[in-house]
Amino acid sequence: MKYYKIRSYLTLLAATICLIGASCSKYFVPRGQAAYTRLQIDSTIIADSSYVAFYMPYKQQLEAEMDRVVGRAAIDLTKPNDTPETLLGNFFADALLAEARKQDPEAAFSFGTKGGLRIELQQGPITIGNLFELMPFENEIVILELTGESVQDLARFIATTGGQPVSSISMEISGSKATNIRIGGEPLDPNRTYKLVTYDYLANGGDNSRGLDNPVSRMNLGIKVREALIDYVREHAQAGKDINTQLDGRITHNK
Amino acid sequence: MEESLIINRRNFLKQAGVFAAVSAMGGIPSMALANDEHVSLTILHTNDVHSRIEPFPMDGSHNQGLGGVARRATLVERIRSEQRNVLLLDAGDMVQGTPYFNLFGGKVELELMSKMGYDAGTFGNHEFDNGLEGLAAMLPYANFPFLTANYDFSDTIINGQTRDYIIFKKQGLRIGVFGLGIRLAGLVDPTRCRGVRYLDPIIVANEIAGRLKNDHKCSLVICLSHLGYQYRDNKVSDRVLAANTRFIDLIIGGHTHTFMPEPELIRNLNGRTTVINQVGFAGINLGRLDYEFERKSGKASLVTAGRYEISVRERSLIKHG
Repeated sequence: MKYYKIRSYLTLLAATICLIGASCSKYFVPRGQAAYTRLQIDSTIIADSSYVAFYMPYKQQLEAEMDRVVGRAAIDLTKPNDTPETLLGNFFADALLAEARKQDPEAAFSFGTKGGLRIELQQGPITIGNLFELMPFENEIVILELTGESVQDLARFIATTGGQPVSSISMEISGSKATNIRIGGEPLDPNRTYKLVTYDYLANGGDNSRGLDNPVSRMNLGIKVREALIDYVREHAQAGKDINTQLDGRITHNK
Repeated sequence: MEESLIINRRNFLKQAGVFAAVSAMGGIPSMALANDEHVSLTILHTNDVHSRIEPFPMDGSHNQGLGGVARRATLVERIRSEQRNVLLLDAGDMVQGTPYFNLFGGKVELELMSKMGYDAGTFGNHEFDNGLEGLAAMLPYANFPFLTANYDFSDTIINGQTRDYIIFKKQGLRIGVFGLGIRLAGLVDPTRCRGVRYLDPIIVANEIAGRLKNDHKCSLVICLSHLGYQYRDNKVSDRVLAANTRFIDLIIGGHTHTFMPEPELIRNLNGRTTVINQVGFAGINLGRLDYEFERKSGKASLVTAGRYEISVRERSLIKHG
């Protein structure tokens, strides 16, 4: 039975090859063809130790780098799901804005999404590895110039999703609406434009955010969000300061 | 065994083509018939390995324990010990994805690939992530050629450091390999690829594949492509490329991280078959395609296609053994 099947398989193969125009008389499939033996790589492949030895010095250097302390958090930077404003979100958005303003001082406010922040930071030393875990993605900072109307759309998105990490913009969430929107402390002017700091993932439509799809202009800074975070923490440390972000009521529920 | 043959037959009938996919069973034919009538060729390939040097960490994520360059090396070496003619190819995005790239700029990835004996690779969009300067800095660590036929680097600092194609000779068999990359605009920051001219991949492919097949008498023409498997719109993809070109036998794809269950056969402009294969990402799989050539006719037959998952189970072996 088995033999028969192998034979019929080979015949079929030969027939198929004829169909595509190869010379049937000259071409034949070797008998060995039927030995479709299963290669059990899971039980037989062991890591080649020469490769592990080769990358081990890099791995050690990398782990040392990841363990390198760049600054300190004075408090736990948390992101509870049920509050419109979080310490981690404020830290993140403040850092984005501060770093982007070095490139463009006109940057007015910043916005990220809480889903993009992958871990919380504990009080104490902040390592490079912590910031890699917080932002493992290769997202890069983008500045979008938005109309007042687009900012309103974005604020509505922030309201309907229960608040998102922002800096230098404030609002009250009334049901699914954003009210009392202020940028840099000033009421939102629908007749002017504002420069928003965000990152490529969101600017390109990620997380279903609203208001970002029709910018007046767009500038990709070519700076990784993670690098910006590292810089921000490092500069605080160099100035002798811990990261001591506070909740300041930038997004509140209007009950 | 019986069941696997039945499945093979069904695949055969369904595809009405010249290959049988046996990835589900992981079957390997012993094709190493080293006589004058036949030459066998084994193509091994990866794509979008993304700096995954160590296996994915055991953190409960979907891919935990998978991949890893040291286990891939063992597998490749074993296949090389079994097969006389082996080519090991990569379809781009070798870098970016773990801190190894952030810290060492691609050096570790390319050194390890060189050590493993990669025969050729092409550029993915992420190869440009540190700009042309970053690319120029990492290229010296590769001892294999980068094939980039549709990028014109004439006005850049990496001019002359890549090639359009290469021809491998194995027991008198000529295998032409060329590379195609994706349009960088919109994917790569313009400052990181300034001066790179993008050429239409289909025009370039037809020209080069034709030359490889007709002028250089290659029995097999392989395209290393970072165009992506397919798109919803009419953007050029491997499927579009296959259908609109004449002389490509095999497209080894990348970019879309597609875990193809088996190679796909597309009818090309010559009415012949162009095979597309892509093996996901991160070095979770190694693609293997075994070809058999009959010397007189020079006709190729793809006799099997396998996809080997480098799995977590070896990890326990390493630990305990």
